[in-house]
Order: sequence, then C-alpha cells, then structure tokens
Amino acid sequence: MTGFDQLLGGFAVALSWKALLYCFIGCLWGTVVGVLPGLGPLAGMTLLLPLTFGLDPTIGIIMLTGIFYGAMYGGSTTSILVRIPGEAASVVTCIDGYEMARKGRAGPALMIAAIGSFVGGTISILGLMFIVPPLAKVMIAIGPSVEVVLILLALSVISVVSAGSRIKTATMVAFGLALGTVGLDKLTGVPRFTFGSAGLTAGLSFAALAIGLFGLSEILLNLEKTETIKAIRPKLKELVPRWKDLKDSAPAVGRASVIGFIFGVIPGVSHVVSTFVSYAVEKRFSKHPEEFGHGAIAGVAGPETANNAVTGTAMIPLLALGIPSIPATAILLSALTIHGVQPGPLLLTDHPEVFWGLVASMYIGNVILLILNLPLVGIFVNLLRIPYTWLVPIILIISIIGVYSVNFSTVDIWIMAISGAAGYLLRKFDYEMAPLLLALVLGDRLEENFRLALTMSGGSYATFADHASLIVLSSVLGLLLVVQALAWAFGYRKSFADEAEGA
Amino acid sequence: MGGSMSDRSEDGSRRWHFHLAVSERRGGIIVAGALAAAGALFAWQSSLLDLGNLELPGPGFFPLFLGAVLVAFAAVIGFDCWRSPPGEAVELGHRDVLIAVAALLAVPLVFEPLGAYITLGLFGTVMLVLIARTRLLPAIAAAVVGMAACWFFFQQLLGLQLPTGPW
Repeated sequence: MTGFDQLLGGFAVALSWKALLYCFIGCLWGTVVGVLPGLGPLAGMTLLLPLTFGLDPTIGIIMLTGIFYGAMYGGSTTSILVRIPGEAASVVTCIDGYEMARKGRAGPALMIAAIGSFVGGTISILGLMFIVPPLAKVMIAIGPSVEVVLILLALSVISVVSAGSRIKTATMVAFGLALGTVGLDKLTGVPRFTFGSAGLTAGLSFAALAIGLFGLSEILLNLEKTETIKAIRPKLKELVPRWKDLKDSAPAVGRASVIGFIFGVIPGVSHVVSTFVSYAVEKRFSKHPEEFGHGAIAGVAGPETANNAVTGTAMIPLLALGIPSIPATAILLSALTIHGVQPGPLLLTDHPEVFWGLVASMYIGNVILLILNLPLVGIFVNLLRIPYTWLVPIILIISIIGVYSVNFSTVDIWIMAISGAAGYLLRKFDYEMAPLLLALVLGDRLEENFRLALTMSGGSYATFADHASLIVLSSVLGLLLVVQALAWAFGYRKSFADEAEGA
Repeated sequence: MGGSMSDRSEDGSRRWHFHLAVSERRGGIIVAGALAAAGALFAWQSSLLDLGNLELPGPGFFPLFLGAVLVAFAAVIGFDCWRSPPGEAVELGHRDVLIAVAALLAVPLVFEPLGAYITLGLFGTVMLVLIARTRLLPAIAAAVVGMAACWFFFQQLLGLQLPTGPW
C-alpha cells in the first residue's frame, strides 16, 4: 500500500461522522480556550483528556489535536482585539495586531492571521506526513541505549531553551523524573513510594497531575486577577483584506512556515520561540522596518503562521520516536498510551489508522478552523464578557468528573487538588511546569531503558556510545550539559562579583 | 511574612479578605526547602529498596539518584534566594484562591459518601456564592441545572457511572 493510499484510508477515518463531530468539538473548544486569557492549549487539552477515555483512540486523539491547533488559532483573536495573548504563542501578535485593530483594521489582521495559520498548519502537516514514515523505519532498529540518550537529549534541550532560570528548570526536570518513579517498578514489580495505597501502585495518575499542575494552577492564578476586558469588535464585512495586505503578507507567510517547521522539532518552547524568531526575521526583511510595532501586517502574518506551522512538526518526535517534545504532545502521548497505543516507530505498522487518521483530520481541522474562526469571531469575542468567576466552577466540576473517571478513585481527586495548589505556589516563584510534565511522562521509559541497556550490555556504560549515531548523540548531550553547567557557574560567579562590587 | 484580615470592598460592603504576602526571598527559600524535603523523602525511601550497583541498578537506584539531585538543586536555589535582596512581596493568600483550594480539598472527602452529583452541586453552589458572589437562591438553581446537565452528558450520553451515595 502506498503512502497516498494510506492517506486516503486516513481520510476515510477522519471523514466519518463521529471523527468529524469530535474534530469539530476539539477545534471549537480549542478556539474557546485560546480566546479566553489564562486557558491555553495545555489546560484545554488536560481538562478534556479524561473525556477521550471512552472514545476510540483515533477519535480521541483527533479531538485532542483539534484542541491543540484550535487554541493556536483562537489565541490570535484576543491578541488582536484585546491586546491580551490567549496563550503564550500569541504574545508577539499583540504588538502589530492590536495596533492594526486600533487603526480600524482588526478585520484584515484577523483574516491574515487565519490565512497564515491555515497555510502554516497545512505545510507542517505535509512535513509530518513525509518525514514520519521514513524516520520511523530508521528508528525501529534502535535499542534501549539510543532511547536513553534521546530522552536525556530532549530533557537537556528543554533546560537550555527554557525561558526561566536554568537551575529551576533542571530542578523541575529532576522532580518530574522522581514523581515518575512512584508505583510498581516495571522491571522487578517492587512497589515504590506507594505507602500502602492501592491507588498509587499504578503510579501517579498523569491526568490528575497534568490537570492539577497546568489547568488548576492556571485557574488559581487567574482568580487573583480582577481587570475587566475591553475588546474591539470588527464587523463581518470588514474582514476582507485588501490586495496590498495579501501581497505584503505572502512572503512573511512563506518564511514563517519554514521557520515554524524547523523550530517545531526543537523540544521545549518551540511554538513561542518560533513566533519571536519569525517576527525578528520579518522586521529584518521588511523594506519598512519602522512600521513594525505600529501595525505592520507582516508582524501579524509571520508569528501567526509560525506558531501554527509548529503544531504539525511538533508531532514528528512523538509519532516517529515516541518522545514528546512539548507538553501538548506529552498529553497526546498519555492519551494514546491509556488507549493501549504506543506512539513511536511501530505506530505506523501496528496502528496505521491512528497515524493516517490523525494526519487527515489535521487537514480537515484546518479547514474547520478557517470556517469557524472568521464568521464567528464576534461570538468568540463575546466570550470575554462572561465573568471568569462563573466559568471557574464549570471548569472545575468537569475536571473533577474527568479525573475521577480515569481510575474511579478519589485518590486522583486528591492528587489533582494537591498538585494544583503546588503548581500555583511553584509558578508564583517562577518555576515552569512544562519541564516537570515532560520529565514525568518520559521518566519511567528513561529508567526502564537505562536499566535494560545496562542489563543487556552486562553492566557496561560503553553501550551508550557503541556506534556512530550514539557517539554523536552522546557527544551533543555531553556538550549541552557542560555548556549549561559552565553558563550557570559563570553567571553565579558574576553575580557574586557584582554583589561584592556593590558592597 | 505579612498577614492581615481587612475588608472594605469597592461597593462599600464588608467582606472577608485575608492577605498573606511573603517577600520573594523568603518565599523562594520556603519553596526550595519544600523541594529539598521532597527530594530527601525520595532519597530516604529509595535507600530502603534494593539499590543494586552501578553496573546493574536495582529499583531504588534511580529514585535515590534523583532524590539526591533534587536536594542538591534545591539547596543551590535556596542559597541563591538567601543571598539575594528581599525583592517584591508575593501575595499567597488571595481569598478566592484559598476558597477554591479548600473547596477542592473537601470534594474527595464526601465524593463517595454523599454521591458525585450532590457533592459537585454543593461545590458549585459554594463557588458561585463565595467566588462569583451570586446570591444563594440563583446559585442553588444554577447548581441544580448544572448537575442535571452533567448527569445527562456524563451518565446518559457517555455511560459514565459516578458514585450515587446512599440514595
């Protein structure tokens, strides 16, 4: 069967009424959480994660992915109309998007953002479709030692590119890995840190932790804010961009698609970084860089295209290697694992319907979002009128039911509440939750493969550098760790010196 | 650490407020201490398990290593906070946050004994009255409608059996 036939098979899955319905629900919910400040794609995905457990794995993953890219679309709406980024990847769009809106050009800004998102999203899906199958074939042959090095590499890159303090990010990685060891040891069956609780033998519930650390902590932080939101409301007829807008945006959309595509595979905060890079590139390439910051349409087209181009490529490490590179794909990994589907090199042979169904649904989802976002922009903006304190009980009740329904255990509600409070406190003091979540997801596989690799090699650590690819990967990993340690040590020394000088 | 219970709201009515604020430095040290304690717990509990050896690690090896790393990193962060200036005050005791956390912690206590719908109905009412500042009767009405919608969606449509309590 050729790739084209398989894609057609995928469309057969994605065009079933059930898949279309859940894709639509995912896109709609994604747009809503993208529009509402403080509820990004992660909170949106984690809150609905438990609802997918009763669904077919392909349908469940289609819905969750719809939330992911729907939120990227929705985030631009509030950035442009309210100057509040719905989620982190839309921060840059605020700069020129809101300036355009102030000048009465909100419609073209929204339209160009939607078109750019559509093009970027579609190009990244094409990349996903062509890169994953051959990469998966190569990865089938890899052993546990390669997996260990790849996971360590992913976690190290997250620590390096993280926006916050390196030592705090590394602490969150260590904490996440430690939390991942709770439950039965997979290799010996010995219970660890369960303290006699049957509810903990299977480990800490990922859904409960993810909802607590991301969703609940976000809600608690938002409860502290009291500002009212004033939005600019464009009319439907104002949405149509001028020919000049399209001409000015086209090169930006093309460049940003490539930038988003490349940055999508970098673990950590790729969707955020790609928007900043795209903005800087557009400013550099522009004949009128002075217009940037005052309503340049390329300043909207570039970042919005880039953050959507990331969504497809961010799936490549997950689907080809089974290693999530960003928290959103960690949630997808968790959802697939709960359904008994292991993402990674064998996904294409064991569950081709999941992969091709997902690819096809992403094409369809992009069209749904284009249709959904433009005519309904007024409705989405009106969502901002609903007092946040009314939404909180609804969101929390759905979360509680969802978390409980995973294992039918109140232990999971405890975990959610406690991790929510802990996440709130940690975020207050600038600890990031994304590295913790990724480490938590990857922790048990890292340990299992580490011990397996050593057992297979008779206890020789040379197994982590016993062929060319491993030597390269291990060297990159070693280099990253050394550079990070040096950067931290020099920064530390400098701050001591500054302090001494100040005294 | 500063705490106060003051209470004149914008509309002039008296409302309960609790302000707990810590300096960035003190809060940073407390959080780092909590992380170090978590690391120490992991390390101590792991030391009770079979550690194996460097060549063939046992079930306690990996968590012991991670616990030690966590303690070390937290100590560095704590030391860094200790020698830094106090910084801005970080508010921790926002009234709505405390109510939401307390209500959430109460849910698992009564979720099975009272039943899911009664518990969540009460939870919704408390949240609407205390956080959304809705009057009691509309809050109860909204909670009843909400629970009926939950029952229809989760139990009838998704077939999810939630605890019904003694009824």
